[in-house]
Amino acid sequence: MIDTSLMISGLVVGVIFGFVLQRGRFCMNSAFRDIILLKEYSLIKAVSLAIVVQMIGFHLMATVGWIQLNPKPFYWGAMIVGGFIFGIGMVLAAGCASGTTYRVGEGMMGSFVALIGLMIGGLTTSAGALAWLNSDLKSGVFSLITSDDLGVEPGPLIKDGNTSLTLANVLGLDPWIFVVIIAIVILAILMWKRGGEESKVEGTAYERIFKAGWDWWVTGIAVGIVGMIAFLAFKNYGLGISGGWFGFLNALITGDPEKLNWFTFLVIGVVLGASVAAVIAGEFKLRAPNAKRLLQQFVGGLIMGIGAVIGTACNIGHILSGIPQLALSSILGGVFIILGTWTAAYIIFMRG
Amino acid sequence: MSSDVKPTDVLDVRGEVCPYPDVKTQKKVKAMKSGEVLEVLVDYPLSAERIPRSMEKAGHEILKTEKTGTGEWKILIKIK
Repeated sequence: MIDTSLMISGLVVGVIFGFVLQRGRFCMNSAFRDIILLKEYSLIKAVSLAIVVQMIGFHLMATVGWIQLNPKPFYWGAMIVGGFIFGIGMVLAAGCASGTTYRVGEGMMGSFVALIGLMIGGLTTSAGALAWLNSDLKSGVFSLITSDDLGVEPGPLIKDGNTSLTLANVLGLDPWIFVVIIAIVILAILMWKRGGEESKVEGTAYERIFKAGWDWWVTGIAVGIVGMIAFLAFKNYGLGISGGWFGFLNALITGDPEKLNWFTFLVIGVVLGASVAAVIAGEFKLRAPNAKRLLQQFVGGLIMGIGAVIGTACNIGHILSGIPQLALSSILGGVFIILGTWTAAYIIFMRG
Repeated sequence: MSSDVKPTDVLDVRGEVCPYPDVKTQKKVKAMKSGEVLEVLVDYPLSAERIPRSMEKAGHEILKTEKTGTGEWKILIKIK
């Protein structure tokens, strides 16, 4: 069992994260899918801003020594295959790992079913019938590539012993160069493309925070700050969702509390926080789609779980927490999550 | 526009998940004639905010977005 202070910190960060996710309707499935499907850009703007906030925040915290960056290992084949599978899964599940989790807190039973699928798919792939696929994609030609293999320095600010590749250590440049350039480019695009998506909600501060959905820039900054708090609280990594649920089911079926991890308490907190936010806003309602859609969401969840284990992280672990660390693994995984999302969205919604 | 405008048609997408409320609304709107009014019933918060936004962007007029109950909204769209 993880110690009590970590349990509490996971739960507290989770409650805040869940509140922010529900108020901001923060979902990467929508964010990526709607670039091509609905031509709606408010969530992708929120995601981009959250990445910038965390990229600056993580590197500041690492520079002053509060944290050490911990980029994920570069299993290139697993990132490509796992990311692509995960992207397909989240379209079918009607929500990414974090979107599915916060919507359980809103009372959406389809997301609840998707979540069960996610947990089963994950354990099947990490230790069950599909474990061979996971190990095949991480061995042989798909073996890990480290900074030692490339003969480059592991790089500053990175946790001792971690030899994962980042943009900075591969190119032998100071990570701050990338942080500043990427931040300027993204912020410039956000400024240039602003307008159109901001809500026209008026009212008191209370109504704007607790009743109406947030503007994308509020959501982006809030998610970014929560991610920084998460890294400070957990020390080892930023936010993550799927690993927490895998630990939850694993602990349930083995009876072994050692299987619970920091992220397990985080995701339970997310459900609670989203529930609180939804109840206050008058948006909590137990609801379910038809049987066909429930089945679709279950299968989607299953596929997401398989993809998250193969790819070593879900959309949150890679795109929200890994890309800001400039991890090549997360950049590659993130690109293929997006490609998987677009492929599935095209086939399901846009053909013909 | 008065709030008691009679809708030409009603689309009930309550229970539907992301992005079906939006996709079904777009499809329905495409099949309707200029000046007609569509009433959309939705219980998915993200779509309740996104449908008015995307419909206005497409040039249609949002006559009303009303929260009709816990987690339920009614959107009135006048087709361009």
